[in-house]
Amino acid sequence: MRLLPVLTAFTSLLSLSVAQKPHKYQTFAELASSSKGSKGSILLNDQLFAEISSPPRNYTSVVLFTALDSRYGCVLCRDFQPEFDLLGNSWHREHPQSDGLLFGVLDFSVGKGTFQRLGMSTAPILMLFPPTTTGSPSEQMPLKFEFNPSDTTPAEAVARWLTHTTKHTVTIHRPFNYVKLFTFVGGIIGLATGSKLAYPYLAPALYSRNLWAAVSLVAVLLFTSGHMFNHIRKVPYVVQGRGGGVSYIASGFSNQFGLETQIVAVVYAILSFSSIALCLKMPRMESAGKQKIAVMAWNLVLLVLFSFLMSVFKMKNGAYPFFLPPLIA
Amino acid sequence: MSTAKSKLFKDPASTESVRSILRVVILLTIAAAAVASRLFSVIRFESIIHEFDPWFNFRASKYLVKHGFFDFWNWFDDRTWYPLGRVTGGTLYPGLMVTSGAIWHALRMISLPVDIRNICVLLAPGFSGLTAFATYLFTKEMKDSGAGLLAAAFMGIAPGYISRSVAGSYDNEAIAIFLLMFTFYLWIKAAKLGSAMWGGLCALFYFYMVSAWGGYVFITNLIPLHVFVLILMGRYSGRIYVAYSSWYALGTLASMQVPFVGFLPVKTSEHMAALGIFGLIQLVAFVDYLRGQVPSKQFNTLLRALVILITVVAFTGLVTLTVTGVIAPWSGRFYSLWDTGYAKIHIPIIASVSEHQPTAWPSFFFDLNMLIWLFPAGVYLCFRQLRDEHVFIIVYSVMASYFAGVMVRLMLTLTPIVCVTAAITVSSIFDTYLEIDSPEEQDEDSDSKKSKKAKELSGGGFLSSKAPFIGIYSITSKIAVIAAFSVYLVLFVLHCTWVTSNAYSSPSVVLASRMPDGSQHIIDDFREAYYWLRKNTPSDAKIMSWWDYGYQIGGMADRTTLVDNNTWNNTHIATVGKAMASREEVSYDILRKHEVDYVLVIFGGLLGYSGDDINKFLWMVRIAEGVWPAEVQERKFFTARGEYKVDAEATDTMKNSLMYKMSYYKFASLFPPGSAQDRVRGAKLPSEGPVLHTLDEAFTSENWIVRIYKVKDLDQFGRDHFAVSAFEAGKKKGKKTGLAGRAGGKKGRRAVRI
Repeated sequence: MRLLPVLTAFTSLLSLSVAQKPHKYQTFAELASSSKGSKGSILLNDQLFAEISSPPRNYTSVVLFTALDSRYGCVLCRDFQPEFDLLGNSWHREHPQSDGLLFGVLDFSVGKGTFQRLGMSTAPILMLFPPTTTGSPSEQMPLKFEFNPSDTTPAEAVARWLTHTTKHTVTIHRPFNYVKLFTFVGGIIGLATGSKLAYPYLAPALYSRNLWAAVSLVAVLLFTSGHMFNHIRKVPYVVQGRGGGVSYIASGFSNQFGLETQIVAVVYAILSFSSIALCLKMPRMESAGKQKIAVMAWNLVLLVLFSFLMSVFKMKNGAYPFFLPPLIA
Repeated sequence: MSTAKSKLFKDPASTESVRSILRVVILLTIAAAAVASRLFSVIRFESIIHEFDPWFNFRASKYLVKHGFFDFWNWFDDRTWYPLGRVTGGTLYPGLMVTSGAIWHALRMISLPVDIRNICVLLAPGFSGLTAFATYLFTKEMKDSGAGLLAAAFMGIAPGYISRSVAGSYDNEAIAIFLLMFTFYLWIKAAKLGSAMWGGLCALFYFYMVSAWGGYVFITNLIPLHVFVLILMGRYSGRIYVAYSSWYALGTLASMQVPFVGFLPVKTSEHMAALGIFGLIQLVAFVDYLRGQVPSKQFNTLLRALVILITVVAFTGLVTLTVTGVIAPWSGRFYSLWDTGYAKIHIPIIASVSEHQPTAWPSFFFDLNMLIWLFPAGVYLCFRQLRDEHVFIIVYSVMASYFAGVMVRLMLTLTPIVCVTAAITVSSIFDTYLEIDSPEEQDEDSDSKKSKKAKELSGGGFLSSKAPFIGIYSITSKIAVIAAFSVYLVLFVLHCTWVTSNAYSSPSVVLASRMPDGSQHIIDDFREAYYWLRKNTPSDAKIMSWWDYGYQIGGMADRTTLVDNNTWNNTHIATVGKAMASREEVSYDILRKHEVDYVLVIFGGLLGYSGDDINKFLWMVRIAEGVWPAEVQERKFFTARGEYKVDAEATDTMKNSLMYKMSYYKFASLFPPGSAQDRVRGAKLPSEGPVLHTLDEAFTSENWIVRIYKVKDLDQFGRDHFAVSAFEAGKKKGKKTGLAGRAGGKKGRRAVRI
C-alpha cells in the first residue's frame, strides 16, 4: 500500500521526463529487455552505463562493477554474482516496472573505459547512484557498498543497505532449495533402507560392548584434550618455528596447536591404558616372573609419560612449580 | 605377614564398627580440608564478596533478610536498568539467597547474630564440604565406600570445583554443585531400588536445584538420556519406570513453581527430551504389560510397529511445533553449545563473556591434573561391569566432557564425574595392590591350564577380564605401584593447593601485586572508586558503565545503573555500547536522554591491568553494531592494516570515541613529554591527549584503574559544549597574548605534573 503513492509519483515523473526529452527507452522494462541480462538486472556496457548514470536521473541505479571472466581470477566476483542476480530478481518480482530502482552489472571485459574513468582497480565494487532530481547535492553523490567477507547472506546485507539509504524497501525472496530438500528426504530413505538391509550384519557391532567402550573413550579423550577448541578457533596444525624448525607446542597457556592436542590425547590414552592394565590385566597373569616384569614395565611407562605431561605443561605455564622425575623441563 | 592378622583385618564383621568410625572421621577430615583450602582469599585479603555476579546475589540477600521473603518475591528493582527497571523477584534463581537467608535466621534463633555478609562469604566453602559428602554417597553406589572416600577427597580439593567455590565467591554454583551431585545420588538410588520415595526425594532436590541454578537443564536432560539409553539397551524394568515417572511428574510440577522457570518445562526445546522420554516410557511400560498378558508373537510385532509409529508421529509433531513457533526454539546460550559458530555470529553478548570460550587442553590439566588421565580409565572400568548405574556414569562422562570442551565454564559440571571415575580407577588399583596376601603360583600343569584358558575364551567376557582373578605375586611389584601412586596423589594435593592459592583465590575486586622486595601490595582501586561514588554523589545519581560493572556499582556504591550483568535487554546494552563508541556529540545526546550523571570507565594502562574497558571495547562496538549497523562499525576501529591500535596510528573513529577519550584523558600528562606509555597494550601514546567537551573528570582512583566523569549540564546560555570550550579556549588565548594557545596549554599541564 505504501508503494502506491511512490508508484504514481514515479510514473508521473517518468512521463514528464519522457515528454521533455525523447528517450531511446520508454520504460525500464524495455531497457532491461534490450540487453541480455537476467530478468532483474541489466547487463551494461560503457555506453549504457554512461546513459543510465548521467544526470538528470529520477531513478536510483545500483551498479555492480565486476570481472567475471576467468582470466581475472576474481573469486569474490563469481561468489557475489548469484547473490546480485537474486537481489535483482527479488526486486523485479515485486516491481515488474522497476519502480525507480535499477540494477545493472558492468563487467570489466565490456566496460574497461568506465573502470579506467572511475579509477577502479579492484572488483567487485557495488555503487549506488541516487536520483539527481530530488534531494540535496550531498545526497546525490554515488555511494559505495562495503563488502563484508564474513557475511553469509550478502544479498540480504545489500538489501538492508538499500532500504536504509534509499526510499525503496528491498526484500529478498530466496528461492526454496528443492535440491536440498530432495537430498535430505532421499538421504533419510536411503539411510533407513541401508540400515534395514545391513542390520543383520551390523547388529553384533551394535550390541558390542567393546565398540561402544571404544567410541566413548575416544570421544572423552578428544574432548578433554581440547579438540573442540581446535574446531572452534580453527588453530593451525603446526607452526613454522624460528630457525626453520617446526614447533609442535604453542606457547601460552590458552593457546594450542592441532598436533599438540593429538600428542596430549595420545599421552592421556597411554596413561589411561597403563592404569587399566595395572588394575585389570596384571592380577590375571599366571606366571609370577612375567607378572613382575609387566607390572614394573607399566609402572615405568606411567611414570615417564606422566613426567612428560608435567614437563609439557610446565612449558606452557612457566610459573608452574612442580615436576616429576625423570623428565625435568 | 601372619595370616591370622590379615584374616582379622579382612573379616568384615569383626571390624565393621571400627570401619564406620574411620569412615566418619575421614569424611569429616575431607570436609575440613575442603573448607580450609577455600579460605585463602579470606586470609590474604579479608571477608569480601568476589567478582561481579556475587555482588548482585549479596545485594539480593541483604534485601531478603531486610524486607522478608514475600517482598523479595515481588521485588521490582528500579535502581538497575534505568529507566526500565527489572522485575528482580521474577527473573532470578532464588535458591541461593533463600539458603543464606534461612541460615541467617537459624543462627539468630540460636542467638548467634552473624552478619549476612559473613554467611554469604562462607556459604560456598561450607557447601563444598557437603558436596564431598554427596560425592561419597554417589561413588559408593557405583563401587564401594573406599572409592567413595577417594572421590570425596578428590572432589574436596579439585581446582575445577574450587574455581567456583572459594570463600566470597557467592554465586549460584556455590550450592548448585552440591545439589547436582545429591540429585544424581538420589536418582541412582531411585533407579536401583525402583522406589517412588527415592524418586520423590530426587524430585525434591531437583526442585531445589532448579531454584538455585540455570544449569539444572543438565539434570533435566541427563536423567532422560540415561533412561533412554537403558531402554535402547533393552534394560527397561519396572524400577526404572517407577523412578523416572515419580521424578519427572513431581520434579516438573515443582520446578514450575519457580517464577523464573514458569511454563518453560512444557514450552522450550531444552525440556522436550524429558517430556518425550516420559511419553516413551509410558508406551514401553504399556507394551511390556501387554507382552506379559498376550504371548502371541504376531501381536508383539504389531506392537513394535505401533511403538515406532507413535514415536515417529510424536517426533514429527515436535518438529512441526518447533518450526511453527509454538514451542520456543533453543535459547541462545543453549544453542551455542551445539552449533559452536552460532554465538559468534548472532549473539555477540554471549560470545563476549570469557567464560563462554572453548577450553584449551592446559585448562583441563590445570583444573584436574592427574584425574584427567584417570578419567577414561574409570569410564572403561564402568564398561566392564555395566550395571544400570554405570551407564549413567558413561552417559554423564561423554556429555559433560563435550560441554566442558565447548565452554570453559562447564568444566564445573565435568569435575564431579572426573573425580568419581578417577576415584574408581585409583581404588581398583589400590584394591589389587594393597592386598596383603599373595597368591601361590600354580604348578606348571600346562594341559589343565590350556584347557581352562580355552574354556574361558569360549565362555566370552569382556576384554581384559577374561582370565580369572589371581592377584599380585610379588611384594616388590605391590610396593612399586603403591609408592608411585602415593607420589602422584601427593603431587595432586600439592598441585591443587598451588592452583587454589595462585589462580582462584583472588577476589578480583581487590588486586594483589608483589613489590620489588617481595612484600604484597594491595591494589584497592575499585572499592576506593565505588566508595567515592557512595559518599560524593546524590543517592539517585545514575551511573553509566559497561555492563560488567553494573552489579558492583549496585552492590558497593548503591547507585542506579543503566545496564548490569543480568544482560536481559540487549538493546539497552547496545545503547551503552553506542554511547561509548560514538563521537562526543552523539554520546552526549544519549547520555542526556538517559539522565546519566556519571560515566565510569576501567582503565588499566597505567598499571598493566589487562581486563580494562579498552580491551573490552571491541565487544561494545560489536554489540552496538548489532543494533545500529549504520552508526557503529567495527571496521572503523581498525587501522588500514587491520590492527587494533590506541597509539598515534589509531583511527579517527577510535580517537574520537568517548571510551578512548575517557580512558586516555590527561594520561599523557603523567609522563615526561613524548614518553606516555600504555602498559597493557604496550603502545606509546601521542603527547597530545584527547580533549573532552561534554564531560568533566570527577574522580580517578589511585592507580587510575577506575575513572569517573561527570556529565556536564546543559550550557546556561544554550550553546553547545563544543562552542563553550572553543570560547573558553579563545579567552585563554586572549589572556596570554603573545603565547600560542597550544604552548600555553602544555605549560599548564606541565605545572600540574610537578
